[in-house]
Amino acid sequence: MDFEPQYTPEQEEFRQEVKSWMKENMPPGIVHPADPIDLTEEQYQLRREFGRRLGAKGWLWSTASPEYGGGGLDVDHAVVLEEEAEAAGLTIPPFYDSGGRLGGASIVVWGSEEQKKFFLPPIFTGEVRTWQLLSEPEAGSDLANVKSTAVKDGDDYIINGQKVYVGSSLGCDYMWTLTVTDTEAKRHENLGWFMIPSTLPGITVQPMDLLISGGESGAGSGVKNTVFFDNVRVPAFNLIGGHNEGWKVATTHLELEHGTGGKISRNPVVDRLFDYCRTTNRRGQPITKDEDAREKLIDVHIEQEIVRLFQLRNYWMRHSGISTTYEGPQASYMRKTLGLKMSRHILDILGPAALTFDPELGASEGHMEAHSRAGIVAIHPGGTTDIQKVIMSRRIGIGREVKEKAGALG
Amino acid sequence: MDLSLTPEQEMLKTAVRSFVHQEYPKETLLQIASPTEISPEEPWEQLTKTGWLGILIPTEYGGEGGSFTDAGVLFEELGRGPVPGPHISSAVVAALTLLEGATEEQKNEWLPRIASGEVRMVAAITEEEFGWLESDVQVTAEQTGGRLTLNGSKAYVFDGETATHLMCAVRSKNTNDVGLVIVPADSVGITIRHLPGFAWNQCAIDMEDVAADSTNVLGEELTGGWTALERASLKAIPVISAYQVGGSQAVYELSVDYSRTRHQFGTPIGRFQRVQDQIINLLNALDAARWTAYEALWKLDIGRDADDSVHLAKTVASEGYYEACNFAHEVHAGVGSMTEYGLTLHTTASRTLYNYLGDPKLHRRRLADALGL
Ligand SMILES: Cc1cc2nc3c(=O)[nH]c(=O)nc-3n(C[C@H](O)[C@H](O)[C@H](O)COP(=O)(O)OP(=O)(O)OC[C@H]3O[C@@H](n4cnc5c(N)ncnc54)[C@H](O)[C@@H]3O)c2cc1C
Repeated sequence: MDFEPQYTPEQEEFRQEVKSWMKENMPPGIVHPADPIDLTEEQYQLRREFGRRLGAKGWLWSTASPEYGGGGLDVDHAVVLEEEAEAAGLTIPPFYDSGGRLGGASIVVWGSEEQKKFFLPPIFTGEVRTWQLLSEPEAGSDLANVKSTAVKDGDDYIINGQKVYVGSSLGCDYMWTLTVTDTEAKRHENLGWFMIPSTLPGITVQPMDLLISGGESGAGSGVKNTVFFDNVRVPAFNLIGGHNEGWKVATTHLELEHGTGGKISRNPVVDRLFDYCRTTNRRGQPITKDEDAREKLIDVHIEQEIVRLFQLRNYWMRHSGISTTYEGPQASYMRKTLGLKMSRHILDILGPAALTFDPELGASEGHMEAHSRAGIVAIHPGGTTDIQKVIMSRRIGIGREVKEKAGALG
Repeated sequence: MDLSLTPEQEMLKTAVRSFVHQEYPKETLLQIASPTEISPEEPWEQLTKTGWLGILIPTEYGGEGGSFTDAGVLFEELGRGPVPGPHISSAVVAALTLLEGATEEQKNEWLPRIASGEVRMVAAITEEEFGWLESDVQVTAEQTGGRLTLNGSKAYVFDGETATHLMCAVRSKNTNDVGLVIVPADSVGITIRHLPGFAWNQCAIDMEDVAADSTNVLGEELTGGWTALERASLKAIPVISAYQVGGSQAVYELSVDYSRTRHQFGTPIGRFQRVQDQIINLLNALDAARWTAYEALWKLDIGRDADDSVHLAKTVASEGYYEACNFAHEVHAGVGSMTEYGLTLHTTASRTLYNYLGDPKLHRRRLADALGL
């Protein structure tokens, strides 16, 4: 066994290239607000600009095919890119986007050649930002129960309905969504998957007032919205995977979202918590010297290590072409439960300093306060912890008659 | 990065699995565990013939010179049984302690015989007030010339009853140094008492004027012996964790099978989400133990500072195996409590291993130290 990514001389060479490129191309002045809702328009534009530069270089979606605007690089290079972005405190893409990783990946699998040529290059080069619009008031965990409709009308579909908890602040260019295309057909055989330009008439975006918007992605999504479709006319060309074939498209991004991909980065909140406790004195000694605090910190460390190893395992499985079963939802489940537990531990360790972003009293520039909220909210997106367990159960062959396979990943 | 086993390790895994299947079927394990039946000698004799007891012993001392990961693979499979010792005590803890602290002469004297199974050496460390710290050692050694006389009592000694030799932690009456002395288990003055109940292969050992001489002292002098044990423990622990992983894996497989075949209310009980919760929690505990253990083993193999990973691994595996058994009992309900079903073999092992070479509380504290908190 070898738990460490080994870098070839070629990768190290690539790393130098990335480093010096980033030095020249990363716009100065990017800051990371504790609460994603504080991301300003100006900050957002800085990130978009950086995203476009990455895109032009083929480094925004580096493993996607160059034919569709990706970088055509292998995973070894993508790893270096991710690591170098992380070293600069950023993710790739450096802003909230559901286009490349989820939507685009599904189009790669299910789109026609013409659709791929049309939709993918703007996504992979960072020209457009894309939101994922799945949840509805009646369809949360039970996503297949969506009620919005798409009715065929000549060469178009007319879409009506309401989506909730979706998107981010500061708008988008495309929305991908799942709607009913056949009200008579059976469950899972009645859906359509659409790429919808956000400028079409009849679309209204209304920000929601949530405890926090998640805080899972380093880039931060800002607000979540309700989106209304009111007789939105969408060309049939924008239907991916075919009429009544939407569910199979969805299985692709649902699987990706359940965390199969894996990653090798650390959780920045854990690092911040440890740094804060090491460098902050209470009653004349660093917080880390307090017996109770130590116990809690070790608890956090242990679970964080478990999450890290699960993600590492998933990452290795993905990159060595080993098919996963329950591993994706398992990593997601552990990450989410750790987040929630951590908000309790942060409160125990820091007391009320964990609950304010007051510039004088709030711990770690408000990051602990933000996590105290995010730990609660982040357990829902991409499937609740219960749902992760439901999926795991099917995958290990106890929930159903037959073992469920992980979704098709192309 | 490559988290797979090597082809040789896969072969070892298969070989150990079929060995356990053959020599230690459930009936045999139950017989060994039974307080009333006589334990068969044959399976252990077969085990000594495999050479596996020498897995961590260098070839120059008659062992196989395997890696820590190799040992992890071996002991994970033995843990699936759970095959009772004294394999871990002798071939891992005692052997590694000898390698850390013994003189060349002592290594030559003991290691080949530990590898062949002729000697079963067991470390007797803890006492009535149970603890793994140097300060917990109160059994005394009085030194007069080259002679030592040991007095006091060891308690909760794992595998002590099956030992041919004891490696006793003692405190010098003369210098207060704490070190290790190797004495035959049947020495005059030693009485060994089995601890009945839920304890797994544990005993108490009384020592009354037990005679030894300086050649029996690990490394010739008492001073240094304790450090050798501590250094060896840091290497032995992930191997023990791997054994706990094997136990958890077995318990997981039992639970999955049972939840698919046991019907209530007209459906397999695995369809009930409350039952699924137990099994998913079990799987999470199992995988957490697995990857923390193997990462620690890997660090030992490449010679990297492994202290934090070692304490992490033991904490996670001890708590994991313990909890895994509890989850399995929830899934199985009544049948799980029946001795003949076999789950309780693991439940029993999980409790004793929870404390062996330090309980999670100790390892959490050491982890905090290792992280520089
Ligand atoms: C911050 C945030 C960001 C989000 N971002 C997006 C986004 O970008 N795009 C998007 O489409 N959606 C998004 N969502 C929505 C998210 O996917 C849903 O909230 C989630 O899937 C749960 O659905 P629900 O809230 O309707 O809860 P429900 O499905 O109503 O669940 C309620 C409770 O019932 C449990 N439950 C439901 N079904 C089962 C079952 N079969 N077995 C056991 N328990 C069950 C759930 O676990 C939960 O405890 C976001 C949500 C949040 C909070």
